Amino acid sequence: MRAFELESVEAIDQAVSHRRVHDGEAFIAGGTTLLDLVKLDVMQPEKVVDVTRLPLKRIETLEDGRLKIGALVSNTELAKHEIVLRDYPVLSEALLSGASTGLRNMASTGGNVMQRTRCPYFRDPDMPCNKREPGTGCSALDGINRNHAVLGTSEHCIATHPSDMCVGMVAAGATLVLEGPDGQREVAFEDYHLLPGDHPEREHDLKPGELITHVILDTPRGGGQHYLKLRDRASYEFALASCAAIVSLDGDNVSEVRVALGGVATKPWRATAAEEALKGQPATQENFERAADAAFTDAVAYSHNGYKITLGKQAIARALRDATARARA
Amino acid sequence: MAPVIRHSTGVGFCTPGAQAETAEQPTAASGKHSSETRRITLTVNGRQHDLQVAPNAVLLDVLREQLNLFGTKKGCDHGQCGACTVHVNGRSVNSCLMLACMQEGAEIVTIEGLAESAGFELGHHPVQDAFLAHDAYQCGYCTAGQMMTAAAIINDDSIDGDEVSLREAMSGNICRCGAYKNILDAVQSARGQMRGGE
Amino acid sequence: MTTDTGKTREYNLSAEKPRIDGTLKLTGGADYAADRNLPNQTYGYPVTSTITSGKLVSLELDEALAMPGVLDIFHHDNFDQLSRSPNSFADENLTSEPRLPFEDNEIHYQGQYIALVVADTLNHARAAAMKVKANYERSDEFLTDIKALDRGEGELPGEEQPGDASSIGDADSAFESASVKLDHRYSIAQENHSVMEMHASVAQWENDMLTIYESSQGVVFQRNALSKIFGIPPEKVTVISHFIGSGFGSKLFMWPHAIMTAVAARRLGRPVKTVLSRTQEYLATGYRPTSLQRVRLGADDSGKLLSIHHDGCNESSPAGKHDDTVSGATPKMYDCGGNAAVTNRLVTVNKCPPCPMRAPGEASGNFALETAMDELAVKLEMDPLALRKKNFAAADPTSDLPWSSNHLKECWDDAASRFGWDKRNPTPGAMQDGDEIIGYGMATQSWEAMRQHCSARFGFRADGSLLVACGTQDIGTGTYTIVAQTASELTGIPIEMVDVRLGDSQLPSGPLSGGSMATSTVLPAVSAAFDEALSQLKSLATAEGGVFENADPDTIEIQSGKLVQGDRSVEITQLLADNQLGLIDGEASAQPGDEQNQYSFRSFGAVFVEVRWDPGISRLRVARVVSTIDIGRAINPMTARNQVEGGIVMGIGMGMFEQAEFDQNGYPYNNNLADYILPVNADMPKVEVDLLDYPDYRHNAFGARGVGEIGLTGVAAAISNAVYNATGKRIRDMPISIEKLLSA
Repeated sequence: MRAFELESVEAIDQAVSHRRVHDGEAFIAGGTTLLDLVKLDVMQPEKVVDVTRLPLKRIETLEDGRLKIGALVSNTELAKHEIVLRDYPVLSEALLSGASTGLRNMASTGGNVMQRTRCPYFRDPDMPCNKREPGTGCSALDGINRNHAVLGTSEHCIATHPSDMCVGMVAAGATLVLEGPDGQREVAFEDYHLLPGDHPEREHDLKPGELITHVILDTPRGGGQHYLKLRDRASYEFALASCAAIVSLDGDNVSEVRVALGGVATKPWRATAAEEALKGQPATQENFERAADAAFTDAVAYSHNGYKITLGKQAIARALRDATARARA
Repeated sequence: MAPVIRHSTGVGFCTPGAQAETAEQPTAASGKHSSETRRITLTVNGRQHDLQVAPNAVLLDVLREQLNLFGTKKGCDHGQCGACTVHVNGRSVNSCLMLACMQEGAEIVTIEGLAESAGFELGHHPVQDAFLAHDAYQCGYCTAGQMMTAAAIINDDSIDGDEVSLREAMSGNICRCGAYKNILDAVQSARGQMRGGE
Repeated sequence: MTTDTGKTREYNLSAEKPRIDGTLKLTGGADYAADRNLPNQTYGYPVTSTITSGKLVSLELDEALAMPGVLDIFHHDNFDQLSRSPNSFADENLTSEPRLPFEDNEIHYQGQYIALVVADTLNHARAAAMKVKANYERSDEFLTDIKALDRGEGELPGEEQPGDASSIGDADSAFESASVKLDHRYSIAQENHSVMEMHASVAQWENDMLTIYESSQGVVFQRNALSKIFGIPPEKVTVISHFIGSGFGSKLFMWPHAIMTAVAARRLGRPVKTVLSRTQEYLATGYRPTSLQRVRLGADDSGKLLSIHHDGCNESSPAGKHDDTVSGATPKMYDCGGNAAVTNRLVTVNKCPPCPMRAPGEASGNFALETAMDELAVKLEMDPLALRKKNFAAADPTSDLPWSSNHLKECWDDAASRFGWDKRNPTPGAMQDGDEIIGYGMATQSWEAMRQHCSARFGFRADGSLLVACGTQDIGTGTYTIVAQTASELTGIPIEMVDVRLGDSQLPSGPLSGGSMATSTVLPAVSAAFDEALSQLKSLATAEGGVFENADPDTIEIQSGKLVQGDRSVEITQLLADNQLGLIDGEASAQPGDEQNQYSFRSFGAVFVEVRWDPGISRLRVARVVSTIDIGRAINPMTARNQVEGGIVMGIGMGMFEQAEFDQNGYPYNNNLADYILPVNADMPKVEVDLLDYPDYRHNAFGARGVGEIGLTGVAAAISNAVYNATGKRIRDMPISIEKLLSA
């Protein structure tokens, strides 16, 4: 692993000072993404800034009923927090479906938002990759793309966003709090991650020097919630397709619905077309499947990942069914 | 440059011949110029070690190459197998993906100290006894990691004792020998012993 | 000193004992190869080819050499002149890759070593290795996917291996005239051994003596090969492998990393530790080769087999030939009317050499044959188990020799009964449970029973303990423990008092830990060495002035650590003390004998699988596995069952997950443990393994035939057959991935 300097910061203003505004510095919290990628020489920080001593470890309910989560709260703590279990079970399920016991203990909330793609071509510095080295080409387009995205892709990048947590947050609705040299700002969670488009190297709306300090979850949506993750083996694998569903019923009709997808898209994916297709409709299997079809209307399959369109639809239909059953319970 | 080892390390089981306690230390004779290292104190198995550590050194490599604590294994170096699982402040973590320099002040426990740190006789943590009785291993390479995860999840009130929950909680520790059946039996047995008749 | 051929005596030894090396493994005290830091040690880190085929034109080393802590970089232009090992199995110096490291500048595969960086720390070595720049001349002519060569009908691709072709009767005519015929192709993807302990070497020279700590399934083979390669006598090479983080075949025969580590240590005059990275491990230390297979079965309307044809084809490498002979065991499996013909072919691909992987050949061939049998049963509208029973081979069809011991019929019945096979509905998709469709499938399991030459040492120590030593290894199968059990049984001395030494080439030559032959090979040598040591004890006792002076040695027995003659007895410790001896030991050898010409030795078993298929979310899971196996006598049924259970897990990997993939550029796509999918704990089904207990004393005096491989065989076929029963989809290409189920 390449050598780097290591600095520990005690206060947020220390962390986000202007002098960090160049590419050679990286924040480290849990380290599960950063050190993995530094070992591969995919990330090449000159300096690593340890932010784990910052006071960002609390989970608190705001006066307006939203839940404010410090960026350093671990995935395990967040998944098992009593308010999350009670009010945001879809997020808890998403978190617990990710990685492993040990990695969830390490991974932070902010770090999970910043997780990088698992595209093997991205992870090998010897391979062309537009995300890692703009302009070198996308090896996955003509290569093996079984694990790649079918939604939100571009001719420059088809890498899948790997996070489960983010899918749960998109379904629950959330806002990111960012602290930077020029002050604090908030970004809607759904707007934070960027589509690859012509610039797959731009993955998110984080300005140089900024740090994610909190995620604020929307006021609880109630309803029935479910996160369903489909993969080859039963655990410890990234999603081939996943769905976070929140369904509220008015009698037999769906009054409110949120659908988010993982494993099939280039960013944590809000399936608004599926939501629109189902809202106000009877909660029937036929309608769940219609909503699922709607989510993939614009999907593009590549040589090895066409199955993901079927699998993604199945994830939606089943997640909606099971969320609805919980809403009725 | 020589590190100060305040206490001897190891538990007396390992006899692979002479051990150089400074093997991973850059020495004046060895290189063109040494990279920057910093002095840190790590608390491992209840003992403090003053060490010179490179900023980019991961905990796994420091445990093995500087402290000669070889019970913690490297199976992938990327958080993909769980063989390097240790406890940091009571939680099971993958030591291959954490910087040693960030663990100052933390209580680190490796397999060599598992029993003693939990108040049991050396080598006789209930998980160790159960792994022996249930033959919950074959080659033994992933076993330290399996047991460190097991010991942590048994103490975790949020993880139920049913088969599905325990299998899921243990799934971050790959066993290529495939001793999963016996591993589950051992974890359930140790859990019963440690938590009583739940 | 050669004594026991296995027929002079019969031992009745079988006990569930915890492993004697358990405490070491459970406390972190077991010393695997890399678990040592020698004084003044340095670290090697390989640099590997990033192209699939071509030439290495030049290396740019200046930047790497200037990196902190770098001591030297070894490569083609500055490497020592060495000789290739003769690579003889018979002479026990076979290597996995005959080509020496950096031998020339030809690049045969991605991951081939092109340099070794040595530095003062692991971090420094790894950082510098990333700074080595290689310039290549890339060749567009390469092959990494043999499936692309297959036309889908007729002959398989590749070069036929004349030595593999065998036939009995007239299979072609029998097939032509059969009323029921079946002709299908099968394939299995490349599987990586994925041993948890990555290959590692720690090499040290002291004067002209080389000591190398290696994760090895064959310390004697590696010692002999290093001796030939470095041109030094074998006694000047010591290979130590006390504990091995599993091998599954990948550590049977030495790989080049050990050679380059030894060279670096000699050149630097310092110990060098090289531990491969997981990706290096995946690209440069072997694999189960992709196989293509064609099976033709001819039968009459009642299901009686009239002929079997089995053609196989597997990958080999320009850097080392490997023939997996996937069809080799097929003619022994069933009574096929005396008509069988098998062939095998090789296709050279641009990958490192394949090598044996657990149940090599047979695990692959069994999948094709046992799936074909299921297809024949469907065609005949016959129960798959009944079809197999109808074609039970009462003797070895290839030689007409009687089986030494064969309880396959009981395996079938026992496993079927415990599984509840009678509840199976043969109509695909007919068994449902909520969202899930249930499928039942079965297969016959089998593995040849082999035995080799072996030497061992047996000693009585003055402190009452025993020393038993053999230059074989314990790769997790429990060899340490069964040797201790044997010594304890032979002497009546408690197992806690037995000190077993393995994994050191300085010990009496023992076998490879592979092929399920260690138990049947080592234990007879242990008992022969015991006889030798005992006769020395008796000589002491009957010598002039001895406790049993002038007694007939044949009247003296050993009981509970004492020598007993009539109503007289003496503690062995006393005997040694009286003679002022610290140790009495004997060394002896044992090998198979004439029984090899009288019987055919083979283990059989039966495996039944329940899968659950949730078509709404395309989820396939193995829910339950029941297996009954006849391995003769299990010396330690607890560790033996563990082997079979582990084989079942590996079979689930083979059937559902595992495939090393290479893209159109030959790029190794899933070269790590996250992307190469292995079963995890949550994939473990309910498993019930039963071992029959019929000691095979024709094989050896302990009645044991070995257990490492057989548990894996049949599992992939049983899964595939169960998937057919659940879905009506016949997947003939392993693994059964989600997309195959969706597109079938």
